Amino acid sequence: MVEVLQQIINGIAIGGVYVLIALGLTTVFGILGIAHFAHGSVSMFGGYLTFFFVTSWGFPLLLAILIALLVGLMLGVLIELLAYRPVRDANHINAFIVALGLTMMVEGINLELFGHEQVVIPTDFSRVFNFGGVTIPELRLYVILAAALLIAAMTVFVERTKTGQAIRAVAENRDAAILMGVNVKTIPLVVFAISTALGVCAGVMVGSLFAIAPGIGEGLVVKGFAVLILGGLGSIPGAVVGGLVLGITEALAAGFISSAYKDVIAFVVMISVLLFRPQGLMGKA
Amino acid sequence: MKLTAMTAALALMAGAAWAEEKTLDIGVSDALTGGGAVYGLPQTNAVKLAAKEINASGGIKVGDDVYMLNVIAYDDKANPTEASNAVRKLIDRDGVKYILGFCCSGATGAVASFIEFEDAVMLVGNAAERSITTREIPNLTRTRPPADYTGAAAGTFVAEKGHKRVAVLGALDVGFYASYVDAFEKELEKAGGEIVSREAFGLKDRDMSPQLTKIRGQEPDAILVVGYVEPAAFIYRQAVELGIDVPRYGFTSGSEEQFTRVATSEQMEGVWDLRPTELTLLSASENGKAYHANYTEEFGIAPSPSSPYSYDQTYALKDAIEAAGTVEDTEAVAAALRDIAVPDEVVMQYLPVDEKMFDQNGQAYTSNGAFQWQSGNWVFVQDLPSDAAAYSAFLSTLDD
Repeated sequence: MVEVLQQIINGIAIGGVYVLIALGLTTVFGILGIAHFAHGSVSMFGGYLTFFFVTSWGFPLLLAILIALLVGLMLGVLIELLAYRPVRDANHINAFIVALGLTMMVEGINLELFGHEQVVIPTDFSRVFNFGGVTIPELRLYVILAAALLIAAMTVFVERTKTGQAIRAVAENRDAAILMGVNVKTIPLVVFAISTALGVCAGVMVGSLFAIAPGIGEGLVVKGFAVLILGGLGSIPGAVVGGLVLGITEALAAGFISSAYKDVIAFVVMISVLLFRPQGLMGKA
Repeated sequence: MKLTAMTAALALMAGAAWAEEKTLDIGVSDALTGGGAVYGLPQTNAVKLAAKEINASGGIKVGDDVYMLNVIAYDDKANPTEASNAVRKLIDRDGVKYILGFCCSGATGAVASFIEFEDAVMLVGNAAERSITTREIPNLTRTRPPADYTGAAAGTFVAEKGHKRVAVLGALDVGFYASYVDAFEKELEKAGGEIVSREAFGLKDRDMSPQLTKIRGQEPDAILVVGYVEPAAFIYRQAVELGIDVPRYGFTSGSEEQFTRVATSEQMEGVWDLRPTELTLLSASENGKAYHANYTEEFGIAPSPSSPYSYDQTYALKDAIEAAGTVEDTEAVAAALRDIAVPDEVVMQYLPVDEKMFDQNGQAYTSNGAFQWQSGNWVFVQDLPSDAAAYSAFLSTLDD
C-alpha cells in the first residue's frame, strides 16, 4: 500500500508539470485553434532565464521567477503579434508552419543564449518529509502546491473575471462575441500572455525538479498534446484531469509493470480511454 | 663569383623550403551537443590540447619533414547517421586520413561498419561497446576497454563486499551498459549473489523515482546504476530523497563538477564508481596532474575523467606515424599502431599486452578501479581485478 501511495505521489508531481503545459496549450488551441508547438521550447526559455538570473546575477529564486514570468507575459504578446496574427485569417496550414518554424527558432535561441549543457535551477529545498513510509521531498511538495495554486488561479480568472468571460465567449462563438462588444483583437494577446506565463512556470518546475536541456521542451510538448487530447480539446478541467492521469499512469506503469515501457503503457491507456470517450475525459460530445 | 653566389642563394632557399612546416589535418567526430556531449566535448578538447602540445614540442617528425597538427572537429551528436555523415565529410571533402574522438557506441559502431574500406585510420575513444573491436578491423584501434571487461571486475568487487541482493537501474537499452550488467551478474552469481531487479530508464529521463520506489520495496542489499552521468546523478539524488540507504554502486565516469550540477555533495557521499582507472585528480599520475592543469587552463573547466582516452589517442597516432615514417600510407600507420609501446605522454594507466599498447584486435586495456565519493571528490580506493591478457585472448575468440 505504501508503494502504491508513493507511486501516486511521484505521479502527481510530474502530472502537475504536465497540467501546466497542457493548460497553456489548451487555452491557445481551444480559443484560437492554433497547435502551438513552440510552447515547450518557450517553457524551457523561461526555465533557462530563471537559472540565469539565479546563477549569474545572484537573484533570489522567487524574484528570478517573477521576472521570468513578466518576460514570459511579454514574450507571449510578441509571439501573437509577430508570428500568429499575420496568418490569423489565412489557411490553417499557415499557422501550422509558423508554429513549427517558431519551435526551431526558439530552440535555436535557447541553444545560442544558454548553450547545450543541461542546467538545474538551484534551490535550497533539500528536506524530505516522511508520512508513514511515504516520502515527499520538499521541492516536490512545493511543485505540487504551486501547480495547484496556478490551476485554481487560472480557473478563477476564466470563470470569475470579465476578461475570462470574454475569453470563453470568443472560444464559444467568435461572431457572437463581436456582436456582444468583446474586443477580439485583444483576447489573443491575453491568451498568449497567460499561456506563455504558465509555460514559464512549468519550465521553472522542470528546471528545479529535473533539468533543462536542448530537446526537453519537445518531449514536454508531446506530453502536453497527449494530455490535451486525453482531457478533451479546449477543456481546462480536462487538462487538469488528463495531466494527473498521465503522470500517475506513468509512475504506476514504471513501478508495477515495466520501467522500459512506461511511456508506451501510458499511451496505451490514453488510447483505450479515447476508444470509449473519443471527445476525451472532460470534452463535450 | 656570381655563379657561386647564386648557387649559395639557391641552396639557402632550398634549405628554407625543407625547413618549412607541413600541416597534417586530423579529424574528430564526436558528440559536441546533445546527451553524449558530456563525453564528446571533453574528448574533442583533449585532442585539441594534445595537438597543441605536439605542435609546441616540434610537431610530428617523418623523415626530413615536420608536420604540425590541425584539428577539424564535427558534431556527430552521438547519432549513427550524423557520425557517418561527419566521417564522410572528413574523408571526402577535407581529405583527412586520421579520425579520432568517438565517445558513444551507437555512432561509433556505424562508422566502424564501413571504415575498413576507406583510406583512413579510426581511433576510438570512450565508446565501450564490445563489438567495436571484435572484428579485428585493421585500421581501427580503441583506447577504452570494453564494458564487460570492467563489469566482471565490478561484479567481483561487489560480491566481495558481501552483497547478495543487488538491484540494477540502468540505460539497459544501450548495448554496452547491458553487457556491463551481464558480466557483473555472472561474477556476482559465482559468489552466490543475485540481481533482484533490472529497471531501465531512457537517456533523456530525469525522473527515476518510480523505478527507485519499486527497488525500495524489494529491499536490496545494494543498487547498481549504469548510465550517462546526468541521469545517474538524478538517480543518486532521488535515491536519497526516497530514503534508500543501501550502498550505491555505479558505472558512469562523471566528474565531480558534472555530478554536483544535479546532486549535492551530501547526496553523493559514499557512492562508488566502478570503472576503468580514469582520471581523478587525487589519484592521477604526474602526466594526469599536468593534463588536468593544462586542460583547465586552456578551456576554463576541469576535464571529465574519460576525456584522456582521446588525448592518449593523439599521442599514440604521433608515435605510430613516426614509427611508420609516413603520413600518406594509412595501412602502414594502422599496422604501426598495433606495434607501438604505450607512449610516455599518456594519462590513462594502460596494461600492455605483449608489451604493446594495442592487442591484435586493436584494443587497449586500462586497469579498473573502485572510486568512492568522499567529501566532494572521487577518491581512488583500490584496483579491481583486471587480467588484460586473458580478456584479450577471449576477445580474439569473438567475431561478431
